[in-house]
Amino acid sequence: MALIQGTNTETLPKAKKATVLNTLRRDYQLWLMILPAIICVIIFNYIPMYGIQLAFREYDFTAGLTGGEWAGLKYFEQFINSHLFWDLIRNTLLISVTTILVGFPAPIALALLVNQIRWKRGKRILQTTVYLPHFISIVVLVGLLNVMLSPNTGVLGLLLAKLGVEGNLLASVNAFVPIYVLSDVWQHVGWNSIIYLAALAAVDPQLYDAAKIDGANKWQIIKNVEIPAIIPTIIILLILNMGTVISTGFEKIFLMQNSLNLPISEVIETYVYKTGIVSNQFSYAAAIGLFNTFINFMMLVIVNTIAKKVARISLW
Amino acid sequence: MKNKIILFITICLMLILVACSDDETSNEPEETEDGKVVLTGLITKHPLTKDLEDMEWLAEVEERAGVEIKWEEVTADWDQKKGAMLAGGDIPDIIVGPNAITDADFAQFPGLFENLKPLIEEHGSNIQAMFDEHPETELLSTQTDGEIYGLSKYQQFWPETATMQFINNQWLENLGLDVPTNWDELFDVLMAFKEEDANGNGDPNDEIPMDFAPVGEGGFGYFHPTVLLGSMGMTVTGGGGQGYFLEDGEVKNFFVDERYKTFVSFLNKLYENGLINDEAFTQDYSQYQALARGDGDEAKIGYTFGWERTDRFGLDVSDQYETFDPMKVSADYDGEVSWSYDYNELNFGVNFIQMSSATSNKEAAMKFINELYDPEVSLQVLFGSIGPNIEETGENSYKILEPQDEEMDPGTWKWTSTWADNGPMFISDELDVELPVDMQAVDEQQAPFNALFESLDRENDVFPGMMLKYSEEDHNQMTLVNTDFMNIAISKFGEWITSGGVEDEWDSYLQQVEQMGLPSNIEIIQGYYDDYNEQLN
Repeated sequence: MALIQGTNTETLPKAKKATVLNTLRRDYQLWLMILPAIICVIIFNYIPMYGIQLAFREYDFTAGLTGGEWAGLKYFEQFINSHLFWDLIRNTLLISVTTILVGFPAPIALALLVNQIRWKRGKRILQTTVYLPHFISIVVLVGLLNVMLSPNTGVLGLLLAKLGVEGNLLASVNAFVPIYVLSDVWQHVGWNSIIYLAALAAVDPQLYDAAKIDGANKWQIIKNVEIPAIIPTIIILLILNMGTVISTGFEKIFLMQNSLNLPISEVIETYVYKTGIVSNQFSYAAAIGLFNTFINFMMLVIVNTIAKKVARISLW
Repeated sequence: MKNKIILFITICLMLILVACSDDETSNEPEETEDGKVVLTGLITKHPLTKDLEDMEWLAEVEERAGVEIKWEEVTADWDQKKGAMLAGGDIPDIIVGPNAITDADFAQFPGLFENLKPLIEEHGSNIQAMFDEHPETELLSTQTDGEIYGLSKYQQFWPETATMQFINNQWLENLGLDVPTNWDELFDVLMAFKEEDANGNGDPNDEIPMDFAPVGEGGFGYFHPTVLLGSMGMTVTGGGGQGYFLEDGEVKNFFVDERYKTFVSFLNKLYENGLINDEAFTQDYSQYQALARGDGDEAKIGYTFGWERTDRFGLDVSDQYETFDPMKVSADYDGEVSWSYDYNELNFGVNFIQMSSATSNKEAAMKFINELYDPEVSLQVLFGSIGPNIEETGENSYKILEPQDEEMDPGTWKWTSTWADNGPMFISDELDVELPVDMQAVDEQQAPFNALFESLDRENDVFPGMMLKYSEEDHNQMTLVNTDFMNIAISKFGEWITSGGVEDEWDSYLQQVEQMGLPSNIEIIQGYYDDYNEQLN
């Protein structure tokens, strides 16, 4: 009571209201650091956005991107009415959702495991080893898959044949998604876990000490100290991942595609390539791409809203 | 601090100004000291080919035409470069390459390329001679509204089919078997290859009875089993393409033909008996070629398709293989037998050279192009220069010389020395040429197919797919239908062969394909074919 009475609030300096100009003045070092990235985003993303109107116009080379005749929603309707539309949507969602469901928890688990290693040198070696595949190019990775999964000469192909998995996995509609997802996890789990390891490294040691004093074991420390510490990072990355839910990435699927797995491997990106690039249908391809982007954007907004309500952590 | 910020902003503004400054490009024709016109050129060439500045014949041609050309040589990823280059509108004066710029590109980018028709009439005597000797070359070069943007080519030496069928004769002898004459006999032969020790090395399980080239998602091509549709009288072209073929002057698509169902059922029977390489659909082309070259002097493949024996099987085991007559579908089949007829695709070429409409000196560029179509020059475009590659043995008489590099085969030597098949050319039928040994070998191996083609009605049973020019609207519609159509047709082809089920799914498949719009595509093509026939006769 005496402590409260002794505080003289009138002597505290009045906090300045936060404005853009104030943050510019106060944090100018940070703004200078991020300025090149802002410039890049403006130049390569915002300035070219005028080209989006190609999705609503007939492409006319002599008139440029903006001079074609107005076509309204013609190309969007054409895509939605296409015989491949629902197959493309289903394939794209199946691959991307499976990738997120399997590929999103894996680096979290790996980070928590690696964080338990006390042998610093071993920890460093393990971390380096698991993130190196990230730097293998997609072409080389698919080449590896072809060599290893070959039913006649591949190491994994022969091993799986002994385990009763018959047939050519590279040609299988059923095996395409597991092969795609598991090889993706193998390649990127190490790299993606770095951000979680960084978050774990920032955990206040006092929390560990307090937990140990209270008698917590390893599992309880993970559950009550480490996982809460990385929840914000998890949610932020999940929101960002949902922004790509209806995209799969073009290169890997294109390289893994063949005539036998085509029913499952034809996704929106490969279809856009075949119609837009190979067949010169620029307006149609632009419309499909914009359709894709619009859905991804809506997913981003929805997930961000949910995360804000449930966990009060969000991008904006 | 304030001074530093001001300095930083100033530097940024200066950089922006520098980046935005416009380059003055002179429209005046450039000329060298000795009066030659300077032009820019781009060629899509084979990675094996040497630099253009080292080609003797090209230096002579530029000299005679009075031009000096600065070449950009593209050996890879032209498809990616092209889109950006064309959309940007900045192209070189001359572009060389096989269909490097397609008819669709001409339609998509109007005004970018020069209409060569008036220039040909003034300065293109060699090109006109090609048009006169082979009217198809003029039709091949002319767009739907009469302009000529890309010039075609004619090279007379190529065979009538690109895909020959080979069987291992030594295996047949080892097992006491005859060359099959119909599909049932083929099945028996392949079963024997699979179950017995055909290659005589003691292991009855290491033979692969049958293999074919990997099937892409866009349609069929060379070295695919679609040549077997000829067993039921269907003449495909280019190995099958997207299924369009001609029968008695009527355009059809084999993907919806009952005989295709029979063909797929047969392949499924082969596959489920383990007679087809189970990597046939997932291997790439280099794996396909490597497998056929066997292991030392032991062959691995019993029956397959290829271009030429040594090309397909390498030098060690190729002697074991022979081509043989196209088979009938069954012993009691009494209809016609046919094969993939590829003469048009192999001997004619479309859009091999084109000129930019921004060319500073169009007459000089046309003189250069016309010089390339001189038959003697064209022979050097194809085989290399007179002297190191060709010997002139008389008037209009030439001999193609052996490679100076003893380790090279004639085909590799050709590709190393010159533009080869990537170049525009007119090799007149009046030339008398002694061909290199590998091309003579092709002639011998082609005998079973040449005999068959003697009775082929080329006017009513050969689909001139590469000759037809479509309007942009029709082309766009057909392209979209074909993309969707190939997605289902090619995946069903693979599925029905490996898993069966063609009988059960055939009716719903036909319905689906019809809804996609295939009938309207066939109707469009029929109209263009009728027009083409009219113009040619």
